[in-house]
Amino acid sequence: MKKLSVGLVLLVFGIYAKAQDSQIKQDSTRRIDEVHVNRMVKKKIETEMKMSVSVDEFLASSENISFIKRGAYAWEPLLNNMSSERTNLTIDGMHIFGACTDKMDPITSYVESNNLSAIDITSGQAGSMHGSTVSGSIDLKRKSTPFSLDPKWSGAYQTGFEWNNKQFFNMGNLSYSDDKFVADGSISFRKAGNYADGHNDEVKHSQYHKFNTSLGMAYKTSPLSALRVDAIFDMAKDVGFPALPMDLWLSRALITSASYKQMFEDGLVKVWDSKIYFNAVEHYMDDTTRPENLVHMDMPGWSTTYGLVSKINLKKDDYASEIQLNAYENVSIAEMRMYPQDRNNRTMFAYSWPWVTTRYVGLSMNNAWEISDKSQVNVGGALGLNYNHAKYVEFNWIFHPGTPQEKTRFLPSLHANYQLNFDSFNFSAGTGYGHRAPSVSEGYGYYIYNSFDRYDYIGNPDLKNEISYEMNASLGFKKEKVGIEVKANYFYIQNYIVGRILNMGSPMNYQSVGVKGYTSLDHATLFNFSIGGHYDILQNLQWKGLLTYARGQDDRGGNLPFIRPLSYQTSVHFTHHKIGFQTSLNGDFTQNNYSPEYGEDKTSSYKIWNVSADYRFNIKNCKAVVQVGAENLWNEYYSTYADWGNIPRMGRNIFTSLKVGF
Amino acid sequence: MKILLFMAALCVVVMSCTKGKTDYEAEIDTVVTEHVEFKEAATVTTNGYHIRIEALNGTFYKGYNEIRLKITNSQTGEISNTSGVTFLPIMTNAMGEHQSCPHRYQLMERSDEKYFSGYAVFTEKSSLDDSWNLYLSLTVNGQTFQVEKSINVQEQANKNLNMTVFTGKDNEQYIIALISPQKPKVSENELLAGIYRYQKPIDNPSGVFPDPTQFSYTEVNGYMLQLDPRMPEPSMGNHSSPNNKDLTQQNDGLYHGVVNYTMTGNWTLNFIMQNQDGQIIKGTVVPDDFTPGIAGAKSDLHIDILF
Repeated sequence: MKKLSVGLVLLVFGIYAKAQDSQIKQDSTRRIDEVHVNRMVKKKIETEMKMSVSVDEFLASSENISFIKRGAYAWEPLLNNMSSERTNLTIDGMHIFGACTDKMDPITSYVESNNLSAIDITSGQAGSMHGSTVSGSIDLKRKSTPFSLDPKWSGAYQTGFEWNNKQFFNMGNLSYSDDKFVADGSISFRKAGNYADGHNDEVKHSQYHKFNTSLGMAYKTSPLSALRVDAIFDMAKDVGFPALPMDLWLSRALITSASYKQMFEDGLVKVWDSKIYFNAVEHYMDDTTRPENLVHMDMPGWSTTYGLVSKINLKKDDYASEIQLNAYENVSIAEMRMYPQDRNNRTMFAYSWPWVTTRYVGLSMNNAWEISDKSQVNVGGALGLNYNHAKYVEFNWIFHPGTPQEKTRFLPSLHANYQLNFDSFNFSAGTGYGHRAPSVSEGYGYYIYNSFDRYDYIGNPDLKNEISYEMNASLGFKKEKVGIEVKANYFYIQNYIVGRILNMGSPMNYQSVGVKGYTSLDHATLFNFSIGGHYDILQNLQWKGLLTYARGQDDRGGNLPFIRPLSYQTSVHFTHHKIGFQTSLNGDFTQNNYSPEYGEDKTSSYKIWNVSADYRFNIKNCKAVVQVGAENLWNEYYSTYADWGNIPRMGRNIFTSLKVGF
Repeated sequence: MKILLFMAALCVVVMSCTKGKTDYEAEIDTVVTEHVEFKEAATVTTNGYHIRIEALNGTFYKGYNEIRLKITNSQTGEISNTSGVTFLPIMTNAMGEHQSCPHRYQLMERSDEKYFSGYAVFTEKSSLDDSWNLYLSLTVNGQTFQVEKSINVQEQANKNLNMTVFTGKDNEQYIIALISPQKPKVSENELLAGIYRYQKPIDNPSGVFPDPTQFSYTEVNGYMLQLDPRMPEPSMGNHSSPNNKDLTQQNDGLYHGVVNYTMTGNWTLNFIMQNQDGQIIKGTVVPDDFTPGIAGAKSDLHIDILF
């Protein structure tokens, strides 16, 4: 199969078969090729070290993802060292927006590893398929069982315990399929107490409780078409954020969709897949467990999104194309109500998101031509229309008098990429150009307290579009036992949006030291570099390594915040019969290029050593795996460059888990 | 279909949020009642004429009151041809001493709207000790007569219409009264205030009581009110707001400025009053320090508001 890309992926409808297998019997269930134009990083939801991971832990194992951590839960993913406003975060192409002004609920916190099948990470403008972006896209793929000829049940149960924070989890999923109907269901519970850092001190307010369940059902309406409905319900309660002055009392999300897929046997159009979706997120913070707080404050937030995704896949000879229409409307509301010390006095109220509506309509396209057996060209682009409306625009007028209530922006995007394979080498080079609109907080946020630099942030509705110019290249070498790949990308981002100290106004939140307004830098540059390799020392003994480097600078050569210092991961994996053993070492070097202007201080280097062992066995017809391991075996006391408030990370943690599947 | 029903039911469950969203309009209404309608506040019938005195909500409040006077023939109900209407409010205390308050003595005729317009800034509410009387004089169809009417002045519940009485460094007595906004918003608000000065009488009282020269107030011209709004609540740490504009006098004689309220609650409008020559008559600078946990400092010239 050709590297990169034009991969054949079986649709939900097809009977289960490997792509290479051409001898599929052609009867009432048919196999249709879906065409993926882009290169995508597909992954199984488990890491090298751990088989039962949270979505965050799983994402962390990807080379271009890093995290801002405010505690043990709901980490904010950074793609290419850029924050989540610059990333297109979707679930099956559906847009969902967190309801917390402090980004305590990235949408990755509303799914669970047992209802996902893969996460597609696309770097840069090539990720504009689902909407405008700068850093790329992260699409969380839901589990969906294919139709089968005979009625079939399958399922899995996972349980585990982690000693450090007494995390206990139970997760189950069950699927049924026959030739007309498919149902997937999952349920999970996680409960964790406070974790202890490398000095064995308890990190207070780091507990969490999470419940997640999902249900999906598909019905085959004809041999070539099917209807599918999906729902995820997620609830987190009593989640501590040690780096913030408040915790989460409750967050809930309902994520629903109904899709219809039609396939075509002949002609240019192969698949037409349309989906309507609705999701609602609510997020309520709680500061009553923090007696040190002078002010009691309620900060509820709501985010509701309706949307449509419609996509067709075209293929003819050496040409393949995806065209996708995205449309959504989101309403984000966040309130703050401060209680005076004398509760008889009047409470103080303001909106931190003054009922901001965002509407987006965009058409995206990706095209691939196989020029020869060895080379391929991908060209794509998107044109989006982004509309914002603030219902209570008078809040924004306080800092930006007379700013219009509505704002419409055009968001064009273009990208091109050339790929070449010869012998054991592969090479790719690409370029991209794209706009993004400011996020709700950047545009309309009002006194949003950022506990990292301790400033209150004010949005600016008149911000210009952020414009990204991007170049990327990769070079790989692959032989039977050895592989090595070097990747680099460079972003020149015009009108880069950051918070700058305002010389007017005064802080509203009592922990805050001043007011910052979102403004545009003339430009910023970002460079990401990674080199990864693997070597099969023996058939059952494999080594893997990865080194990443990034540098981000503003227009005056100053450092951008949250840029990962030089970091490494190296691991050895050994299997013998039913026993597997793996050990890994990872760490960051000292963060020399930190940014005091954005509240950063120098973060020391650290190294973390992990080991784990697993044993596979059968119980009757069920496959079972039991795993025991330890993370941070040296019990290192550390915090990373992106840990909010230098909150120390977890110390030594012993984990055990059991997975039974049938 | 069952599935859809299930989904719909699930939607309803989650759409019913755990905590209700705040109704922003109602939120401001909780402590502020806005009055927009002029209603009868007092009425006198004399010499065959009916004099109707109107104020917002039909009530005289402590602070600034816009006054409308309508004079009709008490038999026919027709608008009478009236001129030279004067208006003088006087308060008498338990000792029998008299004093007035800022007011418009010569009411202005609004012929198109058929009423006489004036105002009074009542400095005290009516009580057992303090009682207010209005002394009116008017000429109807060539006939001039005087009218006295006792009125009831109530406490102003809306703090956004508060007032302050003080003595300036020039030893004059001043009154600052807030006129607008009645119902502020978390927003930019046009701030409107009147500044008045008591005219100390030069001559001894003459003629019949009351002698208007003994009870004279003038609208102060050409002054400036520097504005610095703060939230005095200790937990707010002396919070202020940006983009405020000092109050300066406009053609209507009143002082106009802009105040930004960044959230609902208690606010203090700190003022520094300067005369035409830029000399400070009253008021002190409030420090900018962020002082969480300590009640905010105030200028010695300030008005507290609440919304």
